[in-house]
Amino acid sequence: MGRTWSSMDDFEAFLDDGGMVEVDDDMPDEYRAAVFRFIELHANSELMGGLTERDWIPMTPGLRHKMAVLAKTQDEIGHGHLLYMVAADLGVKTRREMLEDLFAGRSRFQNVFHYPARTWGDQVAICLLVDGAAVPSQKAVYKDCSYGPYKRILKRIIAEEGFHLRLGEERVLKIAEGTDAQRAMFQQSIDDWWWPALRLFGPDSRPNDRLARWRLKSEKNEVMRAGWVQKFVPMLHSYGFTIPDPGLTHDAETDTWTCGPIDWEPLKRTMAMDGPDTARRIAEASAAWETTRWVRDALDAAPAGAVA
Amino acid sequence: MSTITVDTTLLRDAALGAVATVDDPEIPGVSIVDLGLLETVTATVDGRVAIGLIPTFSGCPALAMIAADVEAAVAALPEVEEVTVEWLRSPVWTIERVTEDARRTMATDLTLAVRVDSNPTPCPRCGSPTEEKSEFGSSRCRAVHRCGSCLEVIEVMRDR
Repeated sequence: MGRTWSSMDDFEAFLDDGGMVEVDDDMPDEYRAAVFRFIELHANSELMGGLTERDWIPMTPGLRHKMAVLAKTQDEIGHGHLLYMVAADLGVKTRREMLEDLFAGRSRFQNVFHYPARTWGDQVAICLLVDGAAVPSQKAVYKDCSYGPYKRILKRIIAEEGFHLRLGEERVLKIAEGTDAQRAMFQQSIDDWWWPALRLFGPDSRPNDRLARWRLKSEKNEVMRAGWVQKFVPMLHSYGFTIPDPGLTHDAETDTWTCGPIDWEPLKRTMAMDGPDTARRIAEASAAWETTRWVRDALDAAPAGAVA
Repeated sequence: MSTITVDTTLLRDAALGAVATVDDPEIPGVSIVDLGLLETVTATVDGRVAIGLIPTFSGCPALAMIAADVEAAVAALPEVEEVTVEWLRSPVWTIERVTEDARRTMATDLTLAVRVDSNPTPCPRCGSPTEEKSEFGSSRCRAVHRCGSCLEVIEVMRDR
């Protein structure tokens, strides 16, 4: 059976020694709650992201990209499924309670899923800028993650998100070689998605961040954000696109790009479930849950062993 | 076109080695050769190499990316003049094509099991029997299982 710790100091000393916490351990309540909230937010975000991908299956141009969007939808929903199972194992909420809270607007999902994806250009920008922010964030969690079941699933998720990133870079190349109208569409998408994607990293990390203390994060938000800016500014410039940041500066000596002042109000609004597309997204997710109720009811009603 | 005649056996071996450096885009550390995707390699005296691959599932979204990676790896060989990569319609990929090496790497690095005929699939962490929770995981070739002993949520690669 699992291990127990006599006090938080004892537990933190265990973490400091590189200890890994497993599902049957008698972990401190504060740690359990923090890990749960973290994984629930991740699971909700995978589900909401997967549903946006799903919306784009019929509208995606060309069979090859359509296959990729189909697969990406399955990836995200599959990640959500695994994460909800791992979250539910912590015993804070059941999977059904997590989903009901999500559909009632009582639990959070990441800021980028509170915005509408209106054009194919938006989908390309999401695949590049949002996945390009999600991957380093997930890697930073994975690197020193103290919760074993989450760490092991993250490793597979990161491998799969890396594949999405490659798809995103391929799509950007394609659209950058496109007509003037296609390039203009993508410029609009960069203008719309640059700041939401940048804000995904969150405000600067606090020095007494408990998630860092408990090895659920291994990198400061501002460091990851700076790396993202440094990667995407030169890339988009090289394709002839502009960055919607009048405060963007370039240090010629170190060849470093730094973003201007960040307006955090839009992030606060999405965290208060009041983003530009929040209500529609939740309504869609809730409708998807309701229209598939008969499948769950049928599975629940089937005698044991009748369903593989 | 080169006028130098190349040794087709050596070229074939070199091409095989190059293909083996290509990992599955979603399973880093596991070569597509170890997953059983490579079916044919032919080489000609004028340095032309033809690679025949088979997909795990025909709807796999990584096909174009894998083919491009294979083409680039083989084209990088100095003696290669031309390379073609083709997805073959037969034989059909089966789980038996996954090598022991790949199975070990997937189990230890990614907690990813490979379905075996003797059900139930053992847990890649503790070896205890696992129970299928969903026929579909995050991709077409994976199911979701749970270990009855260590409670790990795992994915199981399968061919049907």
